[in-house]
Amino acid sequence: MGIKYKVNRLETTNEIRPLVDKHWEELRTAKDRGEKVAWASGPTFIFAYAMGMKCHFMAGYSAYCGGIGAGEEVLKVAEMTGDLPESCSYHRLHMGMAEAVARDIPINPQAILPMPDLMVAGRLCPEMSHYAEGLNRRFGIRVLPVDLPSVYNIEDAPRIREFVYRQFKETVIPTVEDVCGKPFDYDRMSEILSVLKKVATLRNQCWEYFKEKPSRWTLWDYGVSIAPVFYMMGNPAGITYYEKLLKELQDRKKNNIPAIAPDGEKYRLYWDGWLPWAFLGKFMRKFTPHGAVCICGRYPWEFFPNPELIDPENPVESWADLYYGNGQLIHHFSPRGTVDLIGNLIEDYSIDGLLMFSSKTCRIMNLSQPDIIDTLDKKYGVPGVIVEGDMIDPAMISDSQIETRLEALYEMIDSRRK
Amino acid sequence: MKNVLSKITDIVSDPYAFVGSVREQTGKKVIGCFPMHVPEELVHAAGMLPVVIWRSNEAVTWGHAHVPAYDCGITRSFVDDAVRGKLPFMDGMVFHVRQCLQAGEFPYIMERNVKPAYQKNLYLPALYPGEAIKDFTITELDVFKTSLEEFSGNKITDEKLKESFEIYNLNRSLLERVYEIRREKPEILKAKEMMQIVWSSMLMPKEDHNKILTELISKMEAKEVIPDKTRIRVIPVGGLCQTIQPDILDLIEDLGMIIPDDDLYVGSRYFANKVSLDGDPIDALAKRYLTKSPLCPTKGVWDIHWGDEAIKKMNDNNARGIISIMIKYCPPHACYYPDFKSKMDKEGINEIMIQVEHEIISLESVKTRLQTFVEILGGV
Ligand code: SF4
Ligand code: SF4
Repeated sequence: MGIKYKVNRLETTNEIRPLVDKHWEELRTAKDRGEKVAWASGPTFIFAYAMGMKCHFMAGYSAYCGGIGAGEEVLKVAEMTGDLPESCSYHRLHMGMAEAVARDIPINPQAILPMPDLMVAGRLCPEMSHYAEGLNRRFGIRVLPVDLPSVYNIEDAPRIREFVYRQFKETVIPTVEDVCGKPFDYDRMSEILSVLKKVATLRNQCWEYFKEKPSRWTLWDYGVSIAPVFYMMGNPAGITYYEKLLKELQDRKKNNIPAIAPDGEKYRLYWDGWLPWAFLGKFMRKFTPHGAVCICGRYPWEFFPNPELIDPENPVESWADLYYGNGQLIHHFSPRGTVDLIGNLIEDYSIDGLLMFSSKTCRIMNLSQPDIIDTLDKKYGVPGVIVEGDMIDPAMISDSQIETRLEALYEMIDSRRK
Repeated sequence: MKNVLSKITDIVSDPYAFVGSVREQTGKKVIGCFPMHVPEELVHAAGMLPVVIWRSNEAVTWGHAHVPAYDCGITRSFVDDAVRGKLPFMDGMVFHVRQCLQAGEFPYIMERNVKPAYQKNLYLPALYPGEAIKDFTITELDVFKTSLEEFSGNKITDEKLKESFEIYNLNRSLLERVYEIRREKPEILKAKEMMQIVWSSMLMPKEDHNKILTELISKMEAKEVIPDKTRIRVIPVGGLCQTIQPDILDLIEDLGMIIPDDDLYVGSRYFANKVSLDGDPIDALAKRYLTKSPLCPTKGVWDIHWGDEAIKKMNDNNARGIISIMIKYCPPHACYYPDFKSKMDKEGINEIMIQVEHEIISLESVKTRLQTFVEILGGV
């Protein structure tokens, strides 16, 4: 019949797993070395990192847990210990893991983290409060809560930025100082940001290779390479990783090697919402035979797309500004900001269709998706479909629904090409 | 009593016609306030009519082209009403977008499809420690106040605001009195009637509602009821943002239980806590919002336990059990529930959870669960 598509795998991405495993291993063994441990949600982990605490970030752990195939068993523990299946799966994962430890229920040892000395609870999504509250109520964990409102109208951002900045200065820093028994390490926060700035700059150079036709890599390759701009923040190994990745992409261009063999992709897709961490392979297997490839998306674009705005000299201000100031990262969580962001991506990355992933248990990126699709279709003539599912929970994923929606998308793209 | 109750039933059985007619008669602009935390007093003081947005009793149709089936009932139902053009009398809409993720569905859908003349998002914070939280609440309320002044063309003076507080506080006191009488003689009102009384307060001009309540209270005080000692007292807890299907409340009573008090949003939560008339009125409104009790899982509170509050209410009312009423797909309640439940288990409290959906669920399964519950409580 048609062309037999297959993915040309990148060599460099093989190097991420050892780095990621090392990160989690160091976290698991932190207490043995007498180090303090924090858990964090929202972009608050940097304050724990700056104090030398080992820390995980809720979404990062969930990605890791999904990646090592431990999601389902941990979710089962959560359900057994009272969580409802409709609750956010990241919430369930953390509660499940903590309950497994507390009740001695065997789970994959790699999925077990030490209970924290502090939960730095950034309430980016209102439901994020509940992790922290649950950890406090069930296990007596000390909580450092920070309210981080998402911004619907950009004109509201300045006063919210002030509010957030004040919480960083008045609540976050004094509390981490108290927990660690030493003054806040502004220099270390500056160093972390300097490394991040370098990594994100290199990563942006890599993003240029998504713009090529054919694309030189896939969003899934970037998904597995996300740790250096995310929870491995501040680790210079991230610079080396992205230098290598960039070099490989440059070579691909030189040798005209596309991400999708034999001659490149047929459909260039935008992916909206969380990456489906436990199902990356499943989705890939549904894209590739059709020559479809995802090459950009809102969530993976959240991690510092404008490294030039990172100011290591003023670390705390800069952190507030990235989200609420010039960086406006927070605005991408609101439908208006989403429309602007996707509009730019459609143009910059020559997108043919939009795949809007709608998580059944987390609505943070689902908001107004049908209206967003309609707005963008009218403005750019690019069709979109919604695929329902979950980042981790297999009970929420339906193969046949994914296939039907994808086929509809391919057909819409085809019919507009005629 | 019958007359007052039937007036109330008329209002809540067609809130669209009712609110539309008040708008026509008074010439006042109607501002739909999404439940549960929009400070209506500010809208009132701007000379407009605040009404609390409600869940319709129709199945969601067009709304599903805008929101997924796994959003809670009021989210889907309100969007459905709005896009079907059932709310033309709402001149404005206010959403507290930080109460749960689903509240974030509205701003874009409304501005794109409904285009109310006035639309405002509030970002009221979680009740975390620190001065920044308090100051930000005040800033938010100030910003809200200014935008209402601009839209209405009316200045909200401190005097006007305090007048509104008095009217609202009176409504709270009167509703408290209704609850007090029901606590003394629970047989006096059916649970669904109680819910309708509170719901009507959310729809009517408070001045009118105060009159209705005054009349109702005198009738309730005068009415003798024969206490039915065989009935088992239970306290329903939860039901965030929306009315509970009356059939479910009837079912609870038909099975031999009786509700002397509740911890429901369209219930005692709506009128809990007065606004202080002392000092700066915006500070006073902020203080009311920052009050932790009755605990609301949308406010990010963890230094008091919802379970303790519910148990206290149960004991104060000599009740024998708690019925958690969970709105399907309400994440704040769903995430809190395991801790609530374990508190109940730990304290040896009889509790059962029933999940309610906008679309009428099979009453049979709810009935079976409630029957078992009543048996455990020692009923028939
Ligand atoms: S609902 Fe979504 S954004 Fe909120 S805590 Fe859960 S996964 Fe995170
Ligand atoms: S019922 Fe729950 S999910 Fe629905 S709007 Fe209210 S708080 Fe949000």
